[in-house]
Amino acid sequence: MANPFRLPMVPRALRNLVSRPATRRYPTEVRPHFAGTRGAIEFDVDSCVFCMLCARRCPAVAITCSREDRFWAIDQLTCIACGVCVEVCNKNSLSMSVASRRVHTRTEVSPDGRRPGREEWSKPVPAAPTAPVVATPGGRAAEAG
Amino acid sequence: MKRTIIPFGPQHPVLPEPIVLDLILMDEKVMDAIPTIGYIHRGLEMMVERVEYTEMGFVVERICGICSFMHGMGYCVSLESIMNVEVPERARWLRLIWAEISRIQSHLLWLGLGADAFGFENLFMHCWRMREQILDIFEKTTGGRIIHSVNRIGGVKRDISDSELAAILAQLQELGAAFGETARVFETDPSIRHRLSGVGVLTTEDARAVDAVGPMARASGIAIDTRLSGAHLYDRVDFEPMVESAGDCLARVLVRLREVDQSIDIIRQAIERMPKGDGQAIETRVRGVPDGEVFTRLEQPRGEVIYYVKANGTRFLERFRARTPTFANIPAMIKLVKGSQLADVPNIILTIDPCISCTER
Repeated sequence: MANPFRLPMVPRALRNLVSRPATRRYPTEVRPHFAGTRGAIEFDVDSCVFCMLCARRCPAVAITCSREDRFWAIDQLTCIACGVCVEVCNKNSLSMSVASRRVHTRTEVSPDGRRPGREEWSKPVPAAPTAPVVATPGGRAAEAG
Repeated sequence: MKRTIIPFGPQHPVLPEPIVLDLILMDEKVMDAIPTIGYIHRGLEMMVERVEYTEMGFVVERICGICSFMHGMGYCVSLESIMNVEVPERARWLRLIWAEISRIQSHLLWLGLGADAFGFENLFMHCWRMREQILDIFEKTTGGRIIHSVNRIGGVKRDISDSELAAILAQLQELGAAFGETARVFETDPSIRHRLSGVGVLTTEDARAVDAVGPMARASGIAIDTRLSGAHLYDRVDFEPMVESAGDCLARVLVRLREVDQSIDIIRQAIERMPKGDGQAIETRVRGVPDGEVFTRLEQPRGEVIYYVKANGTRFLERFRARTPTFANIPAMIKLVKGSQLADVPNIILTIDPCISCTER
């Protein structure tokens, strides 16, 4: 039988008795994120021109985008937060927030099959131009007004 | 003597990953072990057919949550050598630093799991508490704790400023000093010694015969380490592979203990020798499509990993393949399990540091 006072873990264990715990009382106490943390994707629909570049480059196929319907959607739970879409966006419509995604505490699949974490945006499709087209002196057509 | 077959896994308290071993026992002695894998196959290699080569690196990283940085690095290095891309020197040093930090992270994680496997839960928590500091360094520098997504073909996405590097080094050296106390527990605690010493001995000849890699081979007295080839700037730092001769479970623990200190020393040398100054180039812009094939070798925390990449001149690769260290160490594991006592099987399996997610991809 080993002498307990010669066991190398004993001093550490005794110190732990009087020191503060290394863990936090999550979720009441949440560790703040660092400045460069890659969190959830945030989307600014006003500046988006629906060029589809983000949807084409996304390795996880988390982004759905349609130019005709002026529609943009992301599956936040499919997103792998690699940051490719933020880099390729020419209009800076996409950014990454420091905050992590919401924790889902139960199965949240709606009866219509939509996955949790899906976020959708759309802009009204502009009406077809009704202004008359006039010929310019150079011979190229241009919209009036 | 009664013959029994005991299924070990796919769900087993000692190993959170799904591997199945059918243990054929005579009383308490294991006569044979039949491994079955395939429970966590995700088809990541086949995704090269759907994901463009520029983004595939982020998928490759997700092969495994422990060596994720090195998987991404191996993929990017492979593509860079196919496309003859000259990577800025600072980016190559940053890759080396991150690779060594991830080695520390992996070893601390494993030491914790190992301690948990032989019933030393207190020690497990100490190892993981230290690992948390490493994960904080990763989150600060790359933006992710586990999946870093910082490697890109042509370089790295983020730079670490010189002042931040100095702070990281100070933090790591402080952690190294605190780790010394924990390492002493592994080295001297009589219950650990009793549990691991002389268990699962892999002799040098056997290790050569079954082609063991990484800490497994080094614990059996074979001084192999892919970093010795000098690739990826390892020729610019001084280090010796950590070799033990006993070949038992305790030797495999000791090798990893020493490699933590060694990695901190390699990071110190790298920070001293890398080109100084903020605002340096960290990325070369890559244009065109790859055409050709290449093999790349890296030393992961678990041993040598080999990547094979074949490109066909399109934006989608033709073939991507990774031979991971755990796959190379499974024959050694089977050899050790045969003839051991049933109670020693969890320790033997854990001391090869199995990563089934890597193995099956």
